[in-house]
Amino acid sequence: MRRALPWLGLGAAAVAVPLVVRNPFFLHLCILVAMWTLLGAAWNVLGGFAGQVSFGHASLFGIGAYVTIMLYLKAGIAPWWGIPVSGAAAAVVSLPIGLLTFRLRGPYFSLSTLAVAELVRLVALNWESVTNGPVGFLITDLPPVRILGRAVNWEAKEPFYLTIAVLAVAGLASTAWLRRSRLGAYLAAIREDEDAAEAVGVDTVRAKVLTLALSAFLAGCGGGFYAFYFRYVDPDAVLAITLSMEMVFIAMVGGLGTVGGPLIGAVFLIAIGETVRARFEVGHLIFYGLFMMLVIRFMPEGIWGRARRLLQRRAAAGAAAPGGLDGAA
Amino acid sequence: MALLEARGLGRTFGGLKAVAGLDLAVEQGEILGLIGPNGAGKTTVFNLVTGFVRPTAGEILFEGRSVVGLRPHAVVARGITRTFQVVKPFPGLSVLENVTVAAFPRHPRRRDAEDRAREALGRMGLLGKERTLASQLTLIEQKRLEVARALATGPRLVLLDEPMGGLNASEVDVASGIVSSLRAAGITVILVEHVMKAIMRISDRVVVLHHGEKIAEGPPAKVVQDAGVIAAYFGTAGRQAS
Amino acid sequence: METAVQSLVSGVLTGALYAMIGVGLTVVFGVMRIINLAHGEMVMLGMFGAYFGLELLGLDPFVSVVVWAPVMFAAGALIHRLLLRRIIPGGELNTLLYTAGLSLLVANLALFVWTGDYRTINLPYAALPLRPFGIAVPIPLAIAFGIAVLVTGALWLFLGRTDLGRAVRATSQNAEAAVLMGIDVERVATFTFGLGTALAGVAGVLLAPSLYLYPTVGEILVVKCFVIVVLGGLGSVPGAIAGGILLGLVESFGAVYVSMAWKDGIGFLLFLLVLLYRPSGLFGVGKA
Repeated sequence: MRRALPWLGLGAAAVAVPLVVRNPFFLHLCILVAMWTLLGAAWNVLGGFAGQVSFGHASLFGIGAYVTIMLYLKAGIAPWWGIPVSGAAAAVVSLPIGLLTFRLRGPYFSLSTLAVAELVRLVALNWESVTNGPVGFLITDLPPVRILGRAVNWEAKEPFYLTIAVLAVAGLASTAWLRRSRLGAYLAAIREDEDAAEAVGVDTVRAKVLTLALSAFLAGCGGGFYAFYFRYVDPDAVLAITLSMEMVFIAMVGGLGTVGGPLIGAVFLIAIGETVRARFEVGHLIFYGLFMMLVIRFMPEGIWGRARRLLQRRAAAGAAAPGGLDGAA
Repeated sequence: MALLEARGLGRTFGGLKAVAGLDLAVEQGEILGLIGPNGAGKTTVFNLVTGFVRPTAGEILFEGRSVVGLRPHAVVARGITRTFQVVKPFPGLSVLENVTVAAFPRHPRRRDAEDRAREALGRMGLLGKERTLASQLTLIEQKRLEVARALATGPRLVLLDEPMGGLNASEVDVASGIVSSLRAAGITVILVEHVMKAIMRISDRVVVLHHGEKIAEGPPAKVVQDAGVIAAYFGTAGRQAS
Repeated sequence: METAVQSLVSGVLTGALYAMIGVGLTVVFGVMRIINLAHGEMVMLGMFGAYFGLELLGLDPFVSVVVWAPVMFAAGALIHRLLLRRIIPGGELNTLLYTAGLSLLVANLALFVWTGDYRTINLPYAALPLRPFGIAVPIPLAIAFGIAVLVTGALWLFLGRTDLGRAVRATSQNAEAAVLMGIDVERVATFTFGLGTALAGVAGVLLAPSLYLYPTVGEILVVKCFVIVVLGGLGSVPGAIAGGILLGLVESFGAVYVSMAWKDGIGFLLFLLVLLYRPSGLFGVGKA
């Protein structure tokens, strides 16, 4: 119970943000930060905790987006119910993907995820009868909803922000739980030396597949939210390889394998993106690439990773274990 | 019934017969030395027993049940754990974490797993270094960590792959003591080693492999005198010399 | 029947160029154990080099190979010396992600400078295809194929007959032993990276008259490249050649007998099927 307190605190702080941030544009930025935190955390679970670098996570996000929007437009299921279904759908799809791609190790695995993601994108682009092909889907009206007697205003940012803020905090909390759990210990071992892990009794395939499923669930929920907020889904918007790279960027810059890293990484992603957009209008990806290179060169443990290390050095008297599991967020 | 039994065990890699027609029986509670010149197939035997490599022929029975086709983690669950010739710690994890991982499969709760880990670390004299990163240990400490990790899996049979490589004379004595203490704890041991002094002192029985086949078997003193064994190690000139 | 032969010919021609791209990637992996995700961008730069060479200087793309090969080699060598050399000790993962960042940077810089408009190169002498035995063979592709074969042959001789080539192969097989044999492994690495980049760039130049040019073409190329080297085995030059031609054939037949839209996807599908039934690749060398 003691462990849950900081998370409830974070949740409360997150939910209180709209009381402080009134400007719709800035609230929109907060929405983006929260969404990307969730996506970064999703990627980090597989890439940071387990050391399995995926370049195809956009496919899980995209599947989530399509599921939510299609459930609403074709079956009338409201997006807020669609989001967890999206997560589940992405998790289910990730099972065969994992069983197949986890036969490979290291860079082989990473590139196979690229191939899978490309295939998913091609399916979305060409299977027009189901996915509307390049045209995609558009939500024109969201269902009217009353909460506590008042009608929800879908034109305002607040309802969307609150949804994604709760999702993001819950997502981060789940990664913190994972890290301390038995599965989290297995993942750290797999990341360090997969054969040695297997040799001490860890079912590495099961561990990786389960982790991918969790990662997919979070990414799928993120995709579902995307459909809910942006109301337009097409292959370019939700299955582009740049989205996968942005997820990698967030985890890398924030801190691979840390819990708090994705939040920091998301803040940087949005900050850089907005700054560039304000000055140059296009080309923010240039800076993502540049920034990634700089971080890997000068701060490979990420911003949050470096901050934690400095804090730990000051706090601990003896030899702590920065990369292990006895640390906090 | 022997604890571990291999019947007609064989493994070929392409054209190379790494192990061929091997019959081996290990009795509960014994320390079996497995020796032979380099390339004799000793590590391959370990890989076959622990599921890292599938046999192309023959059968392996542990406590009467086949272990062929099981993935390595499943073999560990049955009760067989191995160590590696070149130590494979989890370098970025602490000593305690290294062993806790090994304890987790049988002790799902973190507290229990850590207790079991500390127990194993205590037996290997590593408790004081609980929070040190595995990468910062000395070689002999890493070897002890490797054994502690194996112990934490609760094995009935442990396969030690050249645990004394790179150790000096006094370290070899300490390591020999550790291996004997495993037997005292009720664990059966198969020991692959080149350090003859250790093999002679602690093995109950020795099996000699050469080019993947068993060429001698018996008490250490007898095996070491066997003409075939001498020829395998030194060539026929050696045979004349003896 | 004629369609089948046509597909076969087209497949082999394109496949040879894929092979060249694959060889560049695989040679770098063999020596340095890194997968260069920016490899696709090197091809793209070669393509645009050819384009601007023609646009601005009136230089025929196939002639410009002589210019671009050394330029790309130098670029690759510089990238290794100035950038990669300090990243590689940080580990496989870091290096992979670094090249991913480089790929993002280069592709989007190109996009920013040159815009995303599709461009084509139209060569006056290439308007009509050759028709040996009634099979349509586009002239640029035929010339490209010829040059690619020459380059690959030269590479083969280089690796097999020259000291530097042998040093490359030695380092690729066992870097530690190579050091002990007195090979300056760092210089071999720089050279190899330059070589891989030059091969990619030249492949781009050769492909330019036959494809649509756009700055983000590297994305899909690097995935295809990967399919090639997994099929053929990371680090194996003959494997990359075989893999490249195989992919060319699969795409060519796929475009005709399945559908044009799925042409790209067929290669990936094949790749996943291979993974399913032969996890170690077609030639047995698939795991890292």
